[in-house]
Amino acid sequence: MFGGSITKAIEVRGLTKVYSGGVKALRGLSIDVEEGSIHAVLGPNGAGKTTLIRILTTQLSPTSGSAKIFGLDVMKNAAEVRKLIGYVPQEVSLWTDLTGYENLMIYAKIYGIERDRRKSVIEEILELMELREASSRLVKTYSGGMFRRLEIACALMVRPKLMILDEPTIGLDPSARRIVWEKILEYKKEYNTTVFFATHYMDEAEKYANLVSMVVSGNVVETGTPEELKKKAGGDKVFIKIDGNASIIESALSNIDGVRILRVRGDEVEFNVSSALALLPQILSSIQAEGYKIKEIRLREATLDDAFIALTGKMIAEEEGNIRELVSERKMIRRGA
Amino acid sequence: MASGLKSLESIVAMAELEIRRISHDPIELITRAIQPIFWIAIFGSVMAKVRAFPSTGDYITFISPGVILQSSTFISLSYGIMLVFERESGVLKRLLSSPMPRSFIVIGRSLAGGLRASTQYIIVLLAAVAVGAKISSDPIKLILGYLILVIACIGFTALSILIASGLKTRERFMGIIGAITMPLFFASNALYPIEVMPRAIQLIAEVNPLTYTVNALRTLLVEGSYMIGYDFIAILIFDLLSIAVALKLLHRIVE
Repeated sequence: MFGGSITKAIEVRGLTKVYSGGVKALRGLSIDVEEGSIHAVLGPNGAGKTTLIRILTTQLSPTSGSAKIFGLDVMKNAAEVRKLIGYVPQEVSLWTDLTGYENLMIYAKIYGIERDRRKSVIEEILELMELREASSRLVKTYSGGMFRRLEIACALMVRPKLMILDEPTIGLDPSARRIVWEKILEYKKEYNTTVFFATHYMDEAEKYANLVSMVVSGNVVETGTPEELKKKAGGDKVFIKIDGNASIIESALSNIDGVRILRVRGDEVEFNVSSALALLPQILSSIQAEGYKIKEIRLREATLDDAFIALTGKMIAEEEGNIRELVSERKMIRRGA
Repeated sequence: MASGLKSLESIVAMAELEIRRISHDPIELITRAIQPIFWIAIFGSVMAKVRAFPSTGDYITFISPGVILQSSTFISLSYGIMLVFERESGVLKRLLSSPMPRSFIVIGRSLAGGLRASTQYIIVLLAAVAVGAKISSDPIKLILGYLILVIACIGFTALSILIASGLKTRERFMGIIGAITMPLFFASNALYPIEVMPRAIQLIAEVNPLTYTVNALRTLLVEGSYMIGYDFIAILIFDLLSIAVALKLLHRIVE
C-alpha cells in the first residue's frame, strides 16, 4: 500500500477454507488487528473461529485468500511467523504425566530458548502465573485454572509479539476465568503484546477486548468496540408508563437525538436509546414538559448478547451442548483418563 | 551452525520428554515385560523339551533375542497412538505452530518411541538369564546390542507414526497394529530358524526388518560375534524408508 501505512499485527483478506469433507469453514473472511490491541473474535461454535486461528498459526493452509502476521504471509513465511506468535489452543496442550516445570522446560527447548536463559525465563513466568509452588507437581493434579495458566505460560515464555488464544477460559469457573485474564493483562502491560482471542463468552469479549469482531458462518459480520456494537444494535432499552395516553408524548420523545420508539400501547411506551444514563434527564424533562407524571420506569442496559442477536440474527449459545462436551472432555484428559 | 545445534536440541527434547515420562511411571514398562518373560519361561521351556528345532542349539537361549523384539516392537508399533491422542488434544497443534520444523515431530518422536521400547532389553535379558539362557557377558556386545535395538525400534516407531497419520482414530489404529504385529513376529526368525518355514513365508521373513534385528542381537549376544554389518545396513534402510514415508504422510494427521 501507500507509504506511511502501519503494519498490522494481523491482516486477513478474503480467506476461505473448505475442508476435504466439503465443509466450508471460512467464506471470504477479512479482519484487521492493530498492533498492541486486544481483539476478540466472538461467535458460536462452528462459526470458523478455530479454523481462522489454525490458519493464522500456520497449521493449516487456506483454500484461498491471504493472511499476514506483521506483514509476513502465513504460507510463504511460515517459519518467521512461528517465531512471532504464542499460541494456546482450545484443547489441552500439556503433557499431563509430567510436572509443570518439566512441561515448561520441554516447550522451552522445542521453542529454541537459549540454554543459559531457560531457567530464568521459566522462573519468571512461573512467578507471574503464580504457579511456582505447583511447578514440581504432576500436571494431572492441577485444577482447571492452574492448568490453563500453565498452558498460557508455555506460550508467553517465548515473549511473543502476538498472542493467539483459542477460547482461553473455556470450562473454567468465574473466579478462575478472572485470574486467567488478570495474568494475560499483566503480561500484556509489561511487554505490550498484541492479544488476539476467540471466545463464545460475551462478557469476556465485552470486558477485556478493545475491539470485537462478530463471526457467523465463516464471515465477520461486524467489528467495533463493545460500546459501538451495542449502540449499533440499538443501545439500551427503556420502558415508561405515564398517567395518560402515551401516544401524546411519542413525538416529543422521538425528537430527542438517539431515541428510537419501539412500541406505544395505551399508557406505555418502549424505546431504544443510545445511552440511557446520558439521555434520561432529557427524556424525563420532556415528558414533564408535556404535563404528564411518570408512574413506572424500567431500564435495561444493552449487553453484547443483545448486540450479537441484533447484528447477526443468531444466538450465540445455540451449541451450548457441544461446549459442555468439550468441558467434560477437558476434565477427562486432565485426570489422565 | 548455531541454529543447527538448536534444532537438534528440540529433537533431543522429545526424547527427554519420553524419559521423564517413563521415570514418573516405570510400572507400565515392567507390566509390559511380564508377557515376554512368560514366553521364555513357558513356551521356551516346553519347546526346548520337545526339541522341535534341533538346529537352534539351546532353545531358551535361541529365542531370547526374539522375545526382546516381540516386546519392544509391540511398544514401538503402538507408540503412534500418542500422535492420535495429541491430535485430539492440543499438543500437536502447538507443536505444529512452534518454530521447530515439522520433520522433527516425526524424527524426535521416533527416537522417543525407540527409547521407550528399548527398556525391554534389560528386563527381558535379565529374565532370560534367570531361566538359564546363555547370553554373552561382554559389556561392549551388550551395549552394541542395545544400540541396535534402539535403532531398529526408531524404524518401527516411524512405521507406527505413518500408520497413525493415515488412520487418525484410535480404534482403527489399534486394529491395524494388532493385525500386523502377529505376522511380523511369526514370519521372522524370532522363534524358529527361517529354514523350517514354507517358501512363501520365508520370503516374508527375508524382507521383515524384525528378522535382521533378531539376527544382529543373536550374533552379538548368543554367538558372541561382531559380524552384524549386513543386518545393520538392512535396519538402517528400514529406518530411512519408514521415516521418509512418515514425513510424507504427516500432513494427513494435521487436517
